[in-house]
Amino acid sequence: MPVFKTPFNGYAVRFSPFYENRLAVATAQNFGILGNGRLHVLSLPPAPGAPLSEIVSYDTADGVYDVAWSESHDSILVAAVADGSVKIFDTALPPAQNPLRSFQEHTREVHSVDYNPTRRDSFLSSSWDDTVKLWTLDRPASIRTFKEHAYCVYSAAWNPRHTDVFASASGDCTVRVWDVREPGSTMIIPAHDLEILACDWNKYDDCLIATASVDKSIRVWDVRTYRQPVSVLNGHGYAVRNVKFSPHHRNLLVSCSYDMTVCMWDFMVEDSLVGRYDHHTEFAVGVDLSVLVEGLMASTGWDELVYVWQHGTDPRAP
Amino acid sequence: MEKALNRQKVLLGHLQPSSPSSSHEQTPLSSSICAAGDSAAYHRKPAFSDDVVIVAAYRTAICKSKRGGFKDTRPEDLLTSVLKAVLEKTNVNPTEVGDIVVGTVLAPGSTRAMECRMAAFYAGFPETVPLRTVNRQCSSGLQAVADVVSAINTGFYDIGIAAGLESMTLNNINTLQSTNPKLEIFQQARDCLLPMGITSENVAERYGVTRLEQDQAAVESHRKAAAATASGKFKDEIIPVATKIVDPKTGQEKPVIISVDDGVRPNTNIPDLAKLKPSFKKDGSTTAGNASQVSDGAGAVLLMKRRLAMEKGLPILGVFRTFAAVGVDPAVMGIGPAVAIPAAVKAAGLELNDIDLFEINEAFASQFVYCRKKLGLDPEKINVNGGAMALGHPLGATGARCVATLLHEMKRRGKDCRFGVISMCIGSGMGAAAVFERGDSVDELSNARKMEN
Repeated sequence: MPVFKTPFNGYAVRFSPFYENRLAVATAQNFGILGNGRLHVLSLPPAPGAPLSEIVSYDTADGVYDVAWSESHDSILVAAVADGSVKIFDTALPPAQNPLRSFQEHTREVHSVDYNPTRRDSFLSSSWDDTVKLWTLDRPASIRTFKEHAYCVYSAAWNPRHTDVFASASGDCTVRVWDVREPGSTMIIPAHDLEILACDWNKYDDCLIATASVDKSIRVWDVRTYRQPVSVLNGHGYAVRNVKFSPHHRNLLVSCSYDMTVCMWDFMVEDSLVGRYDHHTEFAVGVDLSVLVEGLMASTGWDELVYVWQHGTDPRAP
Repeated sequence: MEKALNRQKVLLGHLQPSSPSSSHEQTPLSSSICAAGDSAAYHRKPAFSDDVVIVAAYRTAICKSKRGGFKDTRPEDLLTSVLKAVLEKTNVNPTEVGDIVVGTVLAPGSTRAMECRMAAFYAGFPETVPLRTVNRQCSSGLQAVADVVSAINTGFYDIGIAAGLESMTLNNINTLQSTNPKLEIFQQARDCLLPMGITSENVAERYGVTRLEQDQAAVESHRKAAAATASGKFKDEIIPVATKIVDPKTGQEKPVIISVDDGVRPNTNIPDLAKLKPSFKKDGSTTAGNASQVSDGAGAVLLMKRRLAMEKGLPILGVFRTFAAVGVDPAVMGIGPAVAIPAAVKAAGLELNDIDLFEINEAFASQFVYCRKKLGLDPEKINVNGGAMALGHPLGATGARCVATLLHEMKRRGKDCRFGVISMCIGSGMGAAAVFERGDSVDELSNARKMEN
């Protein structure tokens, strides 16, 4: 299966929602602690066995922690940069004109970005300055700032059905659900006892949220009955860094962890661990599932490698 | 810089699960500088192909000085045979070698450097290949390897040979005499003059290593070395040397081929060792039985960039990770490994538990036992094929000998054995240690390389 070696440490990977053979990778030098960043746009080989090739890459003055594809334009990318900026890149433009925009509002590292998948006109950024910001491409400043969390907001994710609803996961150990039409958060879930590093909505049931935490567990919550989690997935040996629901199966989700593994789970069955991949030799930080190709997975980590593979196969197999 | 520290703090928070409410101030985790590069436990350089790897490591048999197999062999001939072997076994073109560094201790510096240069010619090296010697006492061989690695890393050359040579038949350990009046004031300088045996007694006394423990270590060393010899383990690393032996009585010369270490005594046992008198101090505990043997021998190691090794299709025996030399009190110079090993292991971004195999030179049982206990090492992991008490300790050659023994043993053990450490104490109060990684455990990741076209 294809592998790509990035010069910096991998932070995030996302499949394009428009092209089944395209993905973006966010990387940062020196583990994102100090140095530059680079955003890669990669292309899967037409035939199996060939390497991943790079279509274009963009350098940034600080690490890139996350990347999201625009849902409305096939060439536009949004990058979360550690210097607090949110940058827009257009692969259709010559390199000299990139970044297309740079929004400098967050006062600390921007840790995640998510493009609205239903209305397709806006995106969210979450930052270590404890806030989430709402943006559109055509406005010079953010539309709104959501400030309620008491510590770093590691992730913000749009609800796949309700176009104004999103969830945010924070180091203050809570997940908050927001409706952009409301003045404050509409729900606070004290989801874990330790920091929450990621959250995602189920693509088939708009009431389910998965949360990934430093307590090594993943929990699935139903926002209608949020006193108890629907499911607790134990099995990672260290903090769970990221979690994503499958776009093709209601009950499947994928996670990656500081224990260097990528895991696939079925949260509805008792023996929930479906598969474990230990191909990374350092923290596995970024993971994604392709919307266009069922079962196609991608991961990246601090070992500077990007893997793309079909679920059930060995990512390292040549 | 403050930004970097804050980021580090946030990330460390992910790894040390302590809720914000509870106040765990001391955490086992802390950030530290990793001298090996940007991370631990896998290729740590921006370019994986820039690793310095060992593609060949060979040694002669180690023979007792004055009585053993090499008593009538010139030292340069010993070196010639190992230099020749690394060329022949790898088919490397000698003109490509950037430098030969030879660790050697007792022989007068310039004379020995000249002899080594002659050995290079005997081994078939052209005049264009330079050579130098290095002397860090007992770790000269290891220092030679480290020197070549650092030169390759710096880019002075791409292929180098590190070797070690000692003929203790020809060159005795002379006790240094000094009448410098400053010695009155400088206690530690004065301690440098102590015979090594006395420093061993000091270690035993200061750290409470008993005679029985020392004798047991010697018995173990002989037992393991005998088992390794009997099972043919050393055949991979020993280069047979064709030489001669002169009968001391008749003066008759006899051609022989030496391919087995001759210091090993399989029947060594505690009661016999207990009968031996202390060699250095009346009421001491260091005897001829629980100290390293005085020996002749040589070893050579061929190093190059991983890229080159792969181009040439050479097997990668191991990757040189880190090296550390540290100073200790000269009066107890034997404790060197107890300080040097943690330093080298830390620099590699590893912990002692990560190390699967150790070669710790047994200069004296006292210091060997002390270091083992001090570091809390599993005896099953140390000197699995015996050490200097059984095989011998040809000072300058020991480092190169250990590289050959360690890497061949790691190869035999396969995947379960990823990291190995070599360490020795150094006369006048120092210790040196180096961390090696099995080459092929890293090769697994090599599918990443295909992408770089």
